[in-house]
Amino acid sequence: MSQEYASVDLVGDETVKHFTQAVLVAALTAALSQVSIPLPGTLPPFSLQPFGMFFAGLLLGPLWGGFALALYLLVGIAGVPVFSNGNAGLGYVLVGQGTGGFLVGFLVGSVVAGAVVHRGVEPRDLAAVSVPVQIVGLFAALVVVYAIGVPWLSAVTGLPLPKAAAVMAPFVPLDLLKLGIAVAIVEGGYLARR
Amino acid sequence: MLSYRPGETFAHRLDPRSKLLVQFGLAVAVVAHPTVPWLAAATLFGLLAVAAARLSPLAVLRSYRVVFGVLALAPVLAGLTLGPPWFRVDPALRSARLVARVVPVLFVSAAYLRSTPVRETRAAVQRVVPGKAGQLLGVGTALVVRLFPVVLGDVREIRDAIRARGGERRPPWERARLLVVRSLERTLARSDRLGVALRARCFAWNPTLPPLAFARADYPVLALGLALSLSPALALL
Repeated sequence: MSQEYASVDLVGDETVKHFTQAVLVAALTAALSQVSIPLPGTLPPFSLQPFGMFFAGLLLGPLWGGFALALYLLVGIAGVPVFSNGNAGLGYVLVGQGTGGFLVGFLVGSVVAGAVVHRGVEPRDLAAVSVPVQIVGLFAALVVVYAIGVPWLSAVTGLPLPKAAAVMAPFVPLDLLKLGIAVAIVEGGYLARR
Repeated sequence: MLSYRPGETFAHRLDPRSKLLVQFGLAVAVVAHPTVPWLAAATLFGLLAVAAARLSPLAVLRSYRVVFGVLALAPVLAGLTLGPPWFRVDPALRSARLVARVVPVLFVSAAYLRSTPVRETRAAVQRVVPGKAGQLLGVGTALVVRLFPVVLGDVREIRDAIRARGGERRPPWERARLLVVRSLERTLARSDRLGVALRARCFAWNPTLPPLAFARADYPVLALGLALSLSPALALL
């Protein structure tokens, strides 16, 4: 029996904890991508997708946050309808409707947010992170998302860069509002048990 | 959305790794060569790919109709100007040509979705990414596929509960905060339970994988994928 036991290389408890959190944050990102809150008038719907990236960075740090978003993309590439409007496929990520850059941007953004907020690979307690640092981390993530997404949109659709930026401009104030909501959730102590 | 259907077609028999490389290669090739001959060849290839998966091109158009609808707006936007003449044809045509190259890539992507079960993609990821990172990505993919409908159910349930309690009357940001907080709580609780379940089942670095092997038909597809991926380098010669 001891020989059989020795042949099993168990995954460490700490790794299991980070891993399951990353798996569930990936599933949550996929679920939030399917839900949006309609806004009055001609405003674009209030999509909840960026919260996946925000909390991947905030809760999991750069390594496991990036891992969570990588899982989200992989599952979509494998054919599960996890992207907005229930889309899937590698073709959708690479060219799609030109918004694939935002999906890749979420992955890089979660790594950037995690790196700024946690200053290392291992996630630290969010209570020890000041509000300005959290805001800077999430803001840097949003900058990365747009820095990748807008040129990508311009390259796929042939819209000149200023026009592509103008198309995405209405989403910027909404994303800043989401940033505020994410920081308010952390500061409100809603995640204190974690 | 298109999803996997069991079958015995040519596309079903290919290894997922060659199919993924061909999709990637085609996307690289059409982006690098936005010319009419390349576009025509890519479109023909896209149609061949859906035929190889016994998939109707109309079904592909139907399943990606939102994407195509959004894409169709791009040439219109590109042509619009803020003063006279209000619409210019040249930028609109350029944008239309760039948008047209998206079509074959989505066709090949659809053929992949129809002919490849998720577990094969998972096995491909695990084979391609070496070591423990690949293993975690593989297991993670399988778990996210399993948990996505569950978490989506949670989120929709919470949304309905907020609505049932008159949440519609609250401002959107407050509804978003409530929805995200409750969803996060449930998700993290699920994560704790999943962790316990995995450890109880001896979650290990060395389990048994399904077998993957390149068949004879894979080699030309692999070679094509590689050639298309490297095609931008042709211009340098």
